[in-house]
Amino acid sequence: MTPSDFLPVWIALGAIPGALSRYYLTLLCAQRFDGDFPFGTFLINLSGAFLMGFLTTELQKISTEQWLNGFATIGFLGAYTTFSTFALDFSNLLKLGNTRRALLYGLGSPLGGFLAVEMGIALAQHL
Amino acid sequence: MLRQPAVRTVIAISLGAIAGALCRYYLGLGIGHLLGTPIPYGTLVVNITGCFAMGLLATLSLGQVISFHPDLRLLLLTGFLGSYTTFSSYELDSAKLLSEKDLQADLIYWTGSVLLGFISLQLGIALSEWILKKLDRDWLS
Repeated sequence: MTPSDFLPVWIALGAIPGALSRYYLTLLCAQRFDGDFPFGTFLINLSGAFLMGFLTTELQKISTEQWLNGFATIGFLGAYTTFSTFALDFSNLLKLGNTRRALLYGLGSPLGGFLAVEMGIALAQHL
Repeated sequence: MLRQPAVRTVIAISLGAIAGALCRYYLGLGIGHLLGTPIPYGTLVVNITGCFAMGLLATLSLGQVISFHPDLRLLLLTGFLGSYTTFSSYELDSAKLLSEKDLQADLIYWTGSVLLGFISLQLGIALSEWILKKLDRDWLS
């Protein structure tokens, strides 16, 4: 028996802190920043994308252990970042009639997330 | 202990998150086996279905006809759907397709995820508005 035999358990263990940090960070950002721009989900998705690029590249170098990958990327980062809230936020911004903010969020998230992943990969390759 | 709102919040989100992440993982595995194509359909299907459910449940839970307990809302929306759908894998998949020089698949996947996610969210909202209207009418009559 190796730790990787319990992959679903590791995914579950990663998903709990991932979802909880998303929830509390969103609350914190809503308190800090006024207005209807969803800074919380925006920052979470960008930082999660950065970590995803960094960790997957780094993990490929140091270990091939499945459990570590399940815990950190499938579990934690998968639960920390969210696509459904991003789509809902975007839809709500459009409904409020704030086209500029809606476009900034709707285009900024995928573009920023893409740059963040590439930066994470580049940083891990440099280390 | 379960009477404390803070404890119930943590438990509700955690339970939803475990189920969401495991559904994402197993669905991804299943779809990956079925379709061995360059486009990562697993993440695509997860994100699109999750957006539909988010539109449906977020609208239903805000309606006056059906009332959701706040803990149930946290479990389903923040816990399950938040954890089921994922943004980081979506961006990583895009970066991988680009590094494999599969520009066409990359553009389809990258823009298609956002477009289809948005459309399915609107379908979910429309369905729940239809349900709410129907329930409202049945109640009044």
